[in-house]
Formats: sequence, C-alpha cells, structure tokens
Amino acid sequence: MPEAFLTVLFLFINGLIWGLVVALIALGLALIFGVMGIVNMAHGDLYMAGAVLAFFLGPMLGDFWLGLLAVPFAIALIAGPIERYVLRPYEGHPAATMIATVGISFILQQLALAFYGGIPKKMDPPWTASFSLLGVDYPGYRLLVAAVSVAILVGIWFFLYRSSLGILIRASIEDRQMAQAMGINTSRVLVFTFVLGCVLAAVAGVLAAPVTQVSYLMGTDAALLSFIVVIIGGLGSLAGAVVAALAICSLEGVLSAILTPVQSKAAIFFLMVIILMLRPRGIFGHGNG
Amino acid sequence: MSWMNSTQLERVYSLGSLAVLFLLGLVLPSGARSLVVQIMVLCIFAMAYDMCLGFTDQCSLGHSVFFGAGAYGVVLSIVWLKLGLIPAILAGALAGLVVGIPLGVVSVRLSEAYFVIVTAIISAVFHLLAMDMTWLTGGDDGMSVSLPKLSLGLAELSVYNPYTNYYLVFILLLGSYWLLRRVLEAPLGRIFVAIRENQKRVLFLGYHVERYKLVAYLISAVFSGLAGGLYAVTLRYASADYFGFYWSVLPIVWCLIGGLGTLSGCWIGVALMCVFQYYVSAWFTYYLLIFGVLILVVLRVSRRGVLGYLATRR
Repeated sequence: MPEAFLTVLFLFINGLIWGLVVALIALGLALIFGVMGIVNMAHGDLYMAGAVLAFFLGPMLGDFWLGLLAVPFAIALIAGPIERYVLRPYEGHPAATMIATVGISFILQQLALAFYGGIPKKMDPPWTASFSLLGVDYPGYRLLVAAVSVAILVGIWFFLYRSSLGILIRASIEDRQMAQAMGINTSRVLVFTFVLGCVLAAVAGVLAAPVTQVSYLMGTDAALLSFIVVIIGGLGSLAGAVVAALAICSLEGVLSAILTPVQSKAAIFFLMVIILMLRPRGIFGHGNG
Repeated sequence: MSWMNSTQLERVYSLGSLAVLFLLGLVLPSGARSLVVQIMVLCIFAMAYDMCLGFTDQCSLGHSVFFGAGAYGVVLSIVWLKLGLIPAILAGALAGLVVGIPLGVVSVRLSEAYFVIVTAIISAVFHLLAMDMTWLTGGDDGMSVSLPKLSLGLAELSVYNPYTNYYLVFILLLGSYWLLRRVLEAPLGRIFVAIRENQKRVLFLGYHVERYKLVAYLISAVFSGLAGGLYAVTLRYASADYFGFYWSVLPIVWCLIGGLGTLSGCWIGVALMCVFQYYVSAWFTYYLLIFGVLILVVLRVSRRGVLGYLATRR
C-alpha cells in the first residue's frame, strides 16, 4: 500500500477517535442547551476539570479506571449547585446564561491554575499495549478510548430513549412548559440534565488526558471544536451533535495531512460559515434555537 | 433624583464626566494620566459594544475581532503605508468596518443562541489565525510602532507629548459620543430601540429588521475598530492578544456594570474595572478569579447597571 494513503488513513482514524471524545463533549453541550436553553461557555473548562481531577484522583486511588469512576461524582458535586443556585434565574435567556457561564469559566480556569499550576503535564496511559495495524504500531489506549466512548454513547442513547427519566428529559427538550403542565418535576430534570451534560464533558476530559497534555487552558481548544460541532449539527439536536462531531473531527484529521493545525481549524470554520449560510439552524436543527 | 427624568440625568452625567475628563488632563500626574487615557479609549470601545447589546439586543462575544483589526489597521498602515496619524486612525476604524461586513452578513440573521456562539467561534478562530500569522501580526510578541507626528494643517504636534496624546483621545471620545448620540436620537436609533424591545412587532410594522441589526452591528464594528486603533496608538504596540477572548468579555462587563442601553453609562464600568484591574492585579495573581466572581455578582444584582439604577430610583 502506498505510504501517503497509509498516512491519510491513520490521520483519519486519529481524527475519528478524537471525534468520539468530542462527541461526548458536544452531546453534553447539546443536552444542556436543548433542555434549559443554557449556552454553556464553561463546558470546555469542565472537560479540563475532568482531566485535572483525573490527574489527582488517579494516583490517589491508585488506579486510572477508579479515577474515571470517581470523577463524575466530583463533577456532580460542582455542577449541581452551579445549576441550582447560579444559572437557574437566567434560564431561557441564552445571552444572560452565556455571560454567567463565562464568569464560571474564568473561575474554573483560575482555580485550576492555582491548584494545578500553569505548566502542561503529561499523564501516562493506563494501558501501554500497542497493536499492529497494517504493519504500523498503534497505541492500544486510543482504541480503548474509542471503545469506552462508544459504550458511553450507546448507554446515553438507551438512557434517553428507553428509561423513564430519559423520556422526561426528552419531553422537556420538546416543550418545557407542557412538560411542567403534565406534572413533570422539571426542577429535578433540570439539575439532572445539567449534571449529566457536565459529567459527559468531564469524562471526555479523563479519557483524553493520557492522549493530550493536561493544562489549565486545554478546554479552550475542545470548547471551540465542540461549539463548531453543535452549530453545524444544529443546536439542541443530540443526534446532530454526535454525527457532526465524527464528521468534523475525521475531516480535520484528514486535512491535517496537507494543512497546519491552525489552517485546518480555519478550513473547518469556513465550512461552518457555508453551512450556516445555507441552513441557519444547522443540518439537523429545527424549531426555536 | 425626582427633579430629573432619566434622559436628563444621562445628559447631565455625560456632559459632567466629559467636563471632568477635560479638566483632569491639565492636573493629573503622569502615571494617573496614562491610566485615564486608557480609560477614555476603552470608553469608546464600551459605547460601541453598547450599540450592539444595549440598543439592538445582539449579544456578541466576538468584538475582540474588531478591536484587534482596528489596532492592526493603525499599526500596519503606519509601518507599511507610512500614513499620517489621523489617516492611520481612520484606517483603524475602516479595518473594523471591513472585517465587520462579512461577519455581520453571516451572523446577524441568526437567532440569539446561534449568534452568541457563532460570534464566539469567529473571535476564537481570528485569535488562532492572528497567533499563527506571525509575518503579519508579530504573533504573541506583537509589533511596536513609532508614531508619526500629528499634522493639523498649520502646526505639527508630537503625540509623544502627554498633553497632545491626552487631548487627541479626549476629542475622539467626545466626537464618538456626539456621533453615536446623534444616531440614537435620529429615527434610525428609535428603530434600534424598537428592535430591542420587540423584534417581532417591528417586523410586523414592515421594517427590514435584519438590515437594521446589520447597520447597528457595523456601527459597533467601526467604533470598536477606532477604539482598538487608539489603544494601539496609546501603547504604541499591537499584539495578537487583542483578538483574545478576554477582550470580547470585557465590554460586556463594562456595559453590565455601567448600565446597558444608556450609551454613556458604560463609562462608569470602564473606570471601575480599569482602576480595579490596575490595583488588584498588582497584589493578586489570580485576578481573573475575582473577575469571574464579579461577572456573576453584577449579573445577579442588576441588569440595568449603576446608571440604570440611579435613573429608576425616584
């Protein structure tokens, strides 16, 4: 097989795996926006918080995977009160929630800077095996990340479409007022959805931590990408977020064969602009954005 | 305040502050004077932002693009085109407009949430590009510039003289305030306010809402460019940092503190924030932590800001 083709293939696979991680982040973003109309500017920082917590909790608990299980609880303790006591008054006003979450984003970043430090650190992957893929050594941990992400996405799908709480959440996305009128305890649904969205971002952070470097600003890049993804997929559309994440990230991976990282970001950006010109609510978007 | 209505209060307050600023230039020591010059430049930026969020209810998170474009418009036109100071400053405002037209055309017709996110993405991408294109922008290190003399027909003044610098900025602040006030009192400004109050109703009255929103967005872009240019002039320096997210968030905070939709209310916000930053960042490394808490507190306490609070207290 020609060398160039192999390179592109591996860039594509790398992009696809990164796309699965971004899908988790973007799904959280879309859930939070869909149910409560919050544009969560702090989402990237929750991703960062997940990675930083994994950096501390992993060694403390002695095992990376225990850390992965512990991080959601830690994030829930942070995100629950944020939704209930900080964001609740602004729900349904995208601009106000955006400003409030920018404040939260600054706070999270500075806390990470204070307790974690400004220097990016490397984390060892918990699984060092590597596979021979078409004659090239491929790190097994990345395949594991892909598998775990797919498992989580499937789990979320079952939760949203097959469980009673999931139905309540989807009903609240469809029509919040009507859901309330039908006797759904929307306050509980709101806190739960916000926590679920944040946990998704944080888990993505934990999974990505051994692949990328852990730094207090690592959320900025992920946030930019996941915002582009939800805009292209259509705000509040869950399937759109996942599909767009996979498509955009694998495209970015392939583009990086010929462009610098910044240039491929710019190319994705222009793609987004073109899609917005044709469909102002994104590809899968409908209803009120 | 019962003897004044809110328009009169705003008028007295803005003319009063302008008079105070005029006198301050004569008496301040040099350190404080340069702080006040910065405050005046950022006041122009804040007013420009208020045109967007305060008057047409378009919450942009991407105004750093215009600010940065203005700064580089000035610096590059001096370095490459050897323009004089006044033409260079105008080139800065023009740079804001040139960048604003395509971005405005794309984003103005989007609904609120899309608009917020798309403007944020735009500023992030411009920031990345500015950091990357070091041959044009100097990247993170930035570019210094030595300023040409200010030629006024008869006389030539050096902006390195602190008084010239101060009053140049002062006159541009005065001019911007006057122009924007005129726009807001014209029928155009009335339509802006109507769009803020009830966009659907304005649409039913037969106005082309998107077109008016675009006009407001572009006015905002031009004055943001002007402010960015002046900022580069006062610091004699521009860097890719001006495109950063922080510069998009600052104007929101200024306007929220001072009062949205009051045009000059944001001056209070700018002054408070600049003084706050000047003193707090000196002793507290994690100054942005306090900044974040401040955003939450201001948003909770009053959406009308200081001036709005005074105007409604009877």
